[in-house]
Amino acid sequence: MAYELNGKTFEADEEGYLVDISAWNEDLAVLIAEDENIEMSDDAWEVVNFLREYYEEYQIAPAVRVLTKAIKKKLGADKGNSKYLYELFPYGPAKQACKIAGLPKPTGCI
Amino acid sequence: MADFDTLKINPLFEIPALEKGAMKDLSPFVAAPNHQEDLGFPGELVDDWQTKAIEKFGELLKKSRALRVYMDGCVKCGACTDKCHYFLGTADPINMPVARQDLLRKIYRRYFTFAGKYFPKLVGAEDLTREVLDEWYSYYHQCSQCRRCSVFCPYGLDTAEISMAAREIMDHVGKGQKYCNEILGKVHKIGNNLGLPEPALIDTLEGLEEDIEEETGVEVKLPVNQKGADILLVTPSADFFAEPHVDGLIGYAKVFHQAGVSWTLSSYASEAANFAMFIGSYEQMKKVAERIRKAAEDLAVKRIIFGECGHAWRVAYSFMNTLAGPFDFLDPAYPVPQHICEFTLDLIEKGELNLDKSANDHMTLTFHDSCNVARGSRMGPTPGGQFEIPRAIVRAVCNNFVDMAADTIHESTFCCGGGGGLLTDDLMEIRVKGASPRMTALQEVVEEHGVTHMVAICAICKSQFSKVMPKYGIGMDRIVSLHQLVSNAIILDGQIGTEPDEETETDTSEDVATA
Amino acid sequence: MLSTIFAVLFYLATAIFVVGLAYRIRLYATTPAPLKIPTTPAPVTRSGVVARLFREVAFFESLFNSNKWTWLFGWVFHFAMLLVVLRHLRYFTEPVWFWVNWVQPFGKYAGFAMLAGLLALWGRRFLVERVRYISGPSDHLMLVLLIGIAGSGLMMKYVAHTDIVALKAFSLGLIHFNWQPLPADPVLLVHLGLVLVLAFVFPFSKLLHAPGVFFSPSRNQVDNPREKRHLAPWAAALDGDRSQGGSE
Repeated sequence: MAYELNGKTFEADEEGYLVDISAWNEDLAVLIAEDENIEMSDDAWEVVNFLREYYEEYQIAPAVRVLTKAIKKKLGADKGNSKYLYELFPYGPAKQACKIAGLPKPTGCI
Repeated sequence: MADFDTLKINPLFEIPALEKGAMKDLSPFVAAPNHQEDLGFPGELVDDWQTKAIEKFGELLKKSRALRVYMDGCVKCGACTDKCHYFLGTADPINMPVARQDLLRKIYRRYFTFAGKYFPKLVGAEDLTREVLDEWYSYYHQCSQCRRCSVFCPYGLDTAEISMAAREIMDHVGKGQKYCNEILGKVHKIGNNLGLPEPALIDTLEGLEEDIEEETGVEVKLPVNQKGADILLVTPSADFFAEPHVDGLIGYAKVFHQAGVSWTLSSYASEAANFAMFIGSYEQMKKVAERIRKAAEDLAVKRIIFGECGHAWRVAYSFMNTLAGPFDFLDPAYPVPQHICEFTLDLIEKGELNLDKSANDHMTLTFHDSCNVARGSRMGPTPGGQFEIPRAIVRAVCNNFVDMAADTIHESTFCCGGGGGLLTDDLMEIRVKGASPRMTALQEVVEEHGVTHMVAICAICKSQFSKVMPKYGIGMDRIVSLHQLVSNAIILDGQIGTEPDEETETDTSEDVATA
Repeated sequence: MLSTIFAVLFYLATAIFVVGLAYRIRLYATTPAPLKIPTTPAPVTRSGVVARLFREVAFFESLFNSNKWTWLFGWVFHFAMLLVVLRHLRYFTEPVWFWVNWVQPFGKYAGFAMLAGLLALWGRRFLVERVRYISGPSDHLMLVLLIGIAGSGLMMKYVAHTDIVALKAFSLGLIHFNWQPLPADPVLLVHLGLVLVLAFVFPFSKLLHAPGVFFSPSRNQVDNPREKRHLAPWAAALDGDRSQGGSE
């Protein structure tokens, strides 16, 4: 599949993950999020931005614990838990937020 | 995915009436050329795929007695027809084990037997056509290779062996499954299913060390690549990444700490899982297993212990000595490899762990036997140890434990629905439907005994249940790791507070597990 | 003429049965089992495996755990057939072995049990939807064949007696290459004809489950992979120079 934005085409795999992660931009993130029925609140952006930062450093999305801890630092203890992350991204913070962040899907027994 | 969002739990285990073709349109994403080529398989379906498939089939028949005997041996008695969780959940007749086997058997008969060559109609032999290949691709990816049918077959015919062979044939003609093959490529390159590189692994583990210290006041280490450690821990990479897996990993770390043993993880072999078993490739399976051997040699450890992972334990227990042995460089005083449950129970029995059972009093637990552990491996010295040892641990760390119905546990256990390389979003429909027998059994003990949580010792089971239980009205946090319970109960030397005043996130004491 | 045809067919059937079965058994025995795949819990010793196989073959243990009706019908059919076959040894031995005489009173009635078991098994193929779905023409024909054999046998025993003395002379003649005439009794000819067909198809059909059960790795392997390295010859080649330890 592919995303269309401002006349440009962005290639994605069968599940909607961007093929070229460097092609990502914020408008595209909003578009992908719309496809997923997710509204990009400020908190959702915090998650997406953290994922991209982490990915830049480690070439992988952060583990759930790493993510919740980081969000806890940024947004406070009431939001730094997986329950809240699932509220933001009902299909799972790892998979759905990665898609919006333009990162590859985490694979494995998860 | 909308039509199976509201599933009813079937209260009586009724065997469904057949619905022909119910699942024929479900098949997983096909591996991309680069996923295929990373494993040495053709990138896409080759032109002369029929010839190549028959050639490969012939080769496998020569290499595997199981396949040969299983192709000939079925008498169509029907004993297996109501044993598969995918059949019970979908009513598609091809999900009956014998019918699934017949997809390959009809080709076997046509090309490899006298009767099928000369009397194809009589014995149900068929030509290998594109339709057959598509049927293979669809239905051999609706089998979790859980071996429940094999338990009940009068000849032990094992559909897992047959679906492995079918997948091996499909890989060799260029029609592999994306999920398994992409992951295997990552294991070869990076060392684990996630593709978690060493720096990320170290960062993640450091975070866990902080968490444990914050919780207990004790400095518990999760070492990586520590040369000369006694024990190499090989655990599924999901233990680093996902919940409730990570709580189990913390449990192992606490147990090792309290036992006072030196241990290490390896970033080179940072994966217990061996998805090559799912695709039936001996060569790939060996390649993955050799990583563990190499890590053990390089780190000069004395023992290898496996974390909570079902199919990994089958490969480790039943195959690793064959694939990557002999392990004569390890300490002969210990079995190679050992399961973390064997290790932990041994400590418990010696009284070396200080356990506060009441830490788990907010839960009533039941234990889910993972199929590969139950029917493809053992723990301890006696047959059935794989059932008794994990339960003995649960009983040692919890006050409230109840088993599910007898015909749904031990060797009769029902697969979680996500095993065998099916734990992928593109197969969500079969995963949800296949979970229904287990969900039925769980619901029974929830209603009758107030069970709140189910314990598992398999990364796939844990992920699968946390994903599908909500479809049955059960909270995703109702699945817990066995060593998570150990972690809750264990009181480390020097631990702050005598009462466990801090509960972990999953221990929500809200509504019970029913909707 | 008739006697000659039957005599030739009997030799041919015996040859195909023995050679075909021997070929198949050799194939099973020589094909390596690359991995340890016993369905666990499995015995940890060789003698434990013998006991497991004995329970499978004598009591159909797994089938019993699976489906009580199929077990009942299947077990009754197989063991009635065993008694009937043993009883038939009296037509091939002179003097008749003493223990065959012991079987005789049971064997006479076992014929009915055999037929009842077969009819019940056939009934399942029509009445149970799942079993109906998986039944092919050969599955029905195999039952028809066995029902025909049992039915014609019972006919001769209880309805239209055949010349048993002449028959025994014929069968002993076959064994000693001193051919004697076969009584031209139509029921007998049907009975013998169907037995010939059974012998012809045995090595090419699902009847191979009989030898197959002994070679099924999920039932015949010892659960000792940690203690003893199991290695198939073709797999050993992948080990390079590291390989040691034997296969079973």
